Amino acid sequence: MNSFVERYSATSAVGQLRKAQRLTEEEEEFSDAAWGSQAGFGNIMNGPPSFTVPNVRDPAAFLRLHTDDHADPNCRIKIQHGTTTLAFRFQGGVIVAVDSRATAGSYIASGTVKKVIEINPYLLGTMAGGAADCQYWETYLGMHCRLHELRNRERISVSAASKYLSNLVYSYKGMGLSMGTMICGWDKTGPAVFYVDSDGTRLKGDLFSVGSGSTLAYGVLDQGYRWDLTDEEAQELGRRSIYAAGHRDAFSGNTCNLYHIKQDGWTFIGNYDIAKMHYDGPGDVPGAPGGGYGYDVRLAAANSTEVAAA
Amino acid sequence: METSFALTGKGYLIMAADTTSARSIVKMKVDEDKIKTLSPHLLMAYSGEPGDTIQFAEYVERNIRLYQIRNLYALRPAAAASWIRRAVAESLRSRKPYSVNLLLGGYDTATDDPHLYWVDYLGTMAEVPFAAHGYGSYFALSLLDRYHDPDATLEEGLATLKRCIDEVSKRLVVSPGAYKIKVVDKDGVREVEL
Amino acid sequence: MSIMDYNGGSVIAMVGKDCVAIASDLRLGNEALGISSNFQRVFPITDRIYLGLPGLATDVTTLRERFRFRVNMYTIKEEREIEPETFAHLVSSTLYEHRFGPYFIEPVMAGMSKAPSGGCKPFIAATDLIGCLNFAKDFVVAGTASTKLYGVAEGLWEPGLEPEDLFETISQTLMNAVDRDAFSGWGCVVHVMWALIAT
Repeated sequence: MNSFVERYSATSAVGQLRKAQRLTEEEEEFSDAAWGSQAGFGNIMNGPPSFTVPNVRDPAAFLRLHTDDHADPNCRIKIQHGTTTLAFRFQGGVIVAVDSRATAGSYIASGTVKKVIEINPYLLGTMAGGAADCQYWETYLGMHCRLHELRNRERISVSAASKYLSNLVYSYKGMGLSMGTMICGWDKTGPAVFYVDSDGTRLKGDLFSVGSGSTLAYGVLDQGYRWDLTDEEAQELGRRSIYAAGHRDAFSGNTCNLYHIKQDGWTFIGNYDIAKMHYDGPGDVPGAPGGGYGYDVRLAAANSTEVAAA
Repeated sequence: METSFALTGKGYLIMAADTTSARSIVKMKVDEDKIKTLSPHLLMAYSGEPGDTIQFAEYVERNIRLYQIRNLYALRPAAAASWIRRAVAESLRSRKPYSVNLLLGGYDTATDDPHLYWVDYLGTMAEVPFAAHGYGSYFALSLLDRYHDPDATLEEGLATLKRCIDEVSKRLVVSPGAYKIKVVDKDGVREVEL
Repeated sequence: MSIMDYNGGSVIAMVGKDCVAIASDLRLGNEALGISSNFQRVFPITDRIYLGLPGLATDVTTLRERFRFRVNMYTIKEEREIEPETFAHLVSSTLYEHRFGPYFIEPVMAGMSKAPSGGCKPFIAATDLIGCLNFAKDFVVAGTASTKLYGVAEGLWEPGLEPEDLFETISQTLMNAVDRDAFSGWGCVVHVMWALIAT
C-alpha cells in the first residue's frame, strides 16, 4: 500500500498523508519500546492511521467521481445522507437528540441507525454526513481520549477532544471525508457543545442542529429554547424538535434517540417512534404535554376537549 | 432571499411577504409590495423570477377584475385559485414559462371561512391551513406545525406570524429586512403592522 | 433527482375475486420538504372506475381536469358511461398525444367492467408516461415507491381474494412499501369496489 502512496505522492492530499506517515514512522521505535508489542492496540500508536488509496493519478478526484457528492446525482456509490441531529446546552446540562433514518436515494435503507456515538461516559458525538466517516473517526477519537486520560491522569476537556477531531479531519481535507458532528460533554468548565465538520470548521456554542432536517428542527428548537429550561422541559424540546424535522423532512424520521449529559456523564433517556409521537405523543415521559404532536392530531384533541367543555 | 408566509385563523387570513427587490447582490428597493389584492376578499403573494412575477401578477389581477366586471360578482377563492393554477400550468409548457410562486388567500363570503392555496411555479396547488415560500419555509413550516391554530384570534395569529419572521431573521443567512403584512376577513383587505 | 420524484407519491391497484382495489398515499412534497398531507391523487371517473395519477403534482391536477372533460364529452356523445377498457385507451391516447413533451404521470386505473354474462369483471391497468398500456391480471404499481410496492405485492398478493381480504392485502402492501420510501407516505387512502358499489 505504501508503494502506491510513494508513487503518487505528487498530489497534495496524498503528499500530506505521506508526510503524516513519515512522522509516525519516526515515533514507531518509541511506541514499540513503550508497549513491547502493538497487539491489541491496533494502529493507535502510529498516529493517524493509513488507508489504501486507489491506483490512479488523483485518488481524491477519483473518489469524488464515484461517490455521493450532492453536486451531481448521477453514477454514484450511495453514501448515507440525510439526517437531523441536534444538541443544546442549558442550565441542567446538555441535551442530544437525533433521528434514526438512513436513506440511499429515495430508499430508506434503515430506520434504526444509531446516530449518537458514545465516545466515553462523558462524551457524545453525533453523526451526520458519511456514516462510516463519523463512526470511524469518533471511535478513533474515543481511543485518543482514553490515552489522554492515562497520560494526564485526568479526563480530556470537550474543547480538546473536539479540537483533536477537528485537526484530524482537517488533515484529510479535499479527500472526500463528509461529516458534520457535534461533540458534547461535561468537563471542568461544565456542559459544552462543539460543532465540528469535515471542512475543518469548529464552533463552540449553546445550540446546534446539523443535517438535512436541521432547519426544520431549528424552527421548533429556537422558539422553545431558554437557558433556564428544566431537565424535563429540555428533554421534551429535544424530542419535539426531532419529531418536527422527522415529520417534514423526507430524509429524516423513523425514531428519535434522546440523551442527557449531566455532571456525572451521559444517560440515554429513550428511543421514541416518530409515527407514534405523531398520533399518541411520546408516551408517559416527564415533560410531555400528553397527546400527539401531529398538527391534525393536536387540533382534533383541542376540538374534542372544547366539545367536552361545552 | 424572498420569503412569504400565510396562515388562516378564525374568520381571517394573514399574509406576509418580504419587501426587498434584489438584483444580483444589490437591494434595488426595500419597500416593494409583493401582495396583490385581486378582489375585495382575495390576496395573492408572489415571488420568483424578477419580471415574471410582476407581469404574471398583473395579468392575473386584470383577468380577475374582468370577470368581476362581466359578471358583477367576484370569483370565490377556490375558483380563482383554480383559474390561476391553470394559468401557471399552461405557461409551464409554453415557449417561455412564468417562473412565479404564489400564495393565494381569500375569505369566502358565501361560507364565511378563510381559504389558503399554496401554488408553485409548476402549477402545483394544495389547499393548506398555513403555507410559506422561499427559504423561509424550511424554518417556518415546522414552527407552524407546532404553533399554528386555525381557531386563534387575530392577535394570536399575528403573534404566530411574528415567531416565523423572527425565526427567519435569526437563522437565514440572507434574511429579508422588512415585511408587508395584510389581513383579509369579512370586512375585506387591510394592511397591518406587527 | 428525477422529475418523477419531485413531488413524491405512489399508487397501487389490485384484483380480487369479483372485486378490485386501488390505494395511494397522500403526500405532496417539494423534493425532501413535505407540503401537504392531504393531496388526493386517486379520482373517481365513473361509478365503476377509479384513476390514480402518481407523478408530477401539477400534471396530476391538469390530467384530472382533462380526463374529466374527455369523459364528460364521451358520456354526452355516447349517451352512456365509459367502460374501463375504453377509458384505459382514452388515457393511453391522451398521454401519447404528448409524446414529445410528456405529462410526468404514470396512471394506474381500477374498475369493474361489464362481462358478456351480464355480471361484473374486475379490471386494472397502468401505463407509462407516454401511454404504453399494461393490462395486468394481478396488480399494478406506480410512483416513487413502485420498486418497493412490487416486492411487497409479489409476497402478499394471491388470486381470488374477497373484498375484505383484498382491502387488508392492498393496505398492508401500500403501508409497508411506503415505509421504505422517503417520498411517499403521510397518510393513505384505499378504495375497494365490488359488484357496482365503490367504497
